[in-house]
Amino acid sequence: MKTSADPVRDYLSAVEREGSALPADRRQELLADLAEHIEVTRAERPGAAIGEILAELGDPRTIVATALAEAGNTAAGAAGDGAAGAPPRRRGKVHPLAPLLMLTLSLPFMMVFPDLPGPLFGVLFRITGAVLLCTSVHWTTVQKTTGVLLTAVLPTAVITTWNLAGGPAGTPSLVANLITLALLAGTAVWLWRARRV
Amino acid sequence: MEPGDSTKQARAAAQLRKGVLEYCVLALMRDRPRYGVELLHALEDSGALATSQGTVYPLLSRLRRDDLVTTTWQESASGPPRRYYALTDSGRAALDEFTRVWPGFRNAVDTFLTTPHPSPGDLA
Repeated sequence: MKTSADPVRDYLSAVEREGSALPADRRQELLADLAEHIEVTRAERPGAAIGEILAELGDPRTIVATALAEAGNTAAGAAGDGAAGAPPRRRGKVHPLAPLLMLTLSLPFMMVFPDLPGPLFGVLFRITGAVLLCTSVHWTTVQKTTGVLLTAVLPTAVITTWNLAGGPAGTPSLVANLITLALLAGTAVWLWRARRV
Repeated sequence: MEPGDSTKQARAAAQLRKGVLEYCVLALMRDRPRYGVELLHALEDSGALATSQGTVYPLLSRLRRDDLVTTTWQESASGPPRRYYALTDSGRAALDEFTRVWPGFRNAVDTFLTTPHPSPGDLA
């Protein structure tokens, strides 16, 4: 470790650097706790060398590893009270129903408004829903990928193929649409149940 | 002793410590609020629970977030003000629960460690 005039500051910036993966509020709290510990220990043991106090406090990496493990421990608890976990949860804070409704309702929307610009809005719904789903914090990557494949890619591919092949309009088309709709609804229900709260 | 044995022993101690440390910290606050450095000294004096001091602060921070302890700042006659940790009602309940299950746990482990378990196929 490089030496400088202020070993305490070096120590705390090492904790800050190692702790970059921690949520900002947790990192600040940890730094405040450690700074307080150093100050109190210095006051209680004026004879102790600062190097000794820091050595007893331990390796910044070990402390940060413990903090990361503890942060994981309360992930569920923090989601409940909101305030503590708010900063890292800013991104993708859309209600989990939003992408699911957009993905599911895009099809009936296109069925009800088959003339332009109905399908255009339907496609926009589907794309927005897929983007919201992918940026949401409520699902894992695997769930997101499965969701996008089943609710956006597959129906779009089926409908496009159907239209390009010049499939007959009327009853078969309605049946196909209803089957696709059931698939969309089923996937949405699955995603809703599998979501992280 | 083979090289590596002491690390294995350290690992066993660390595993055990991980499970019980938070309840020992809660127990230290049972009778009165304590400040961080004071808690660390008590853990160190115990020997078996001594740990890299800094790692106790993330634990205290979680206990606070989980509403098992509350903190208050108190002025000190010497040096800076100290942050005192005190049990909340749910902290006390968690400690009581641990106090209730621990003897059975300890006895079960002791039984496994001390009683021989001969099995029919055992040559030893």
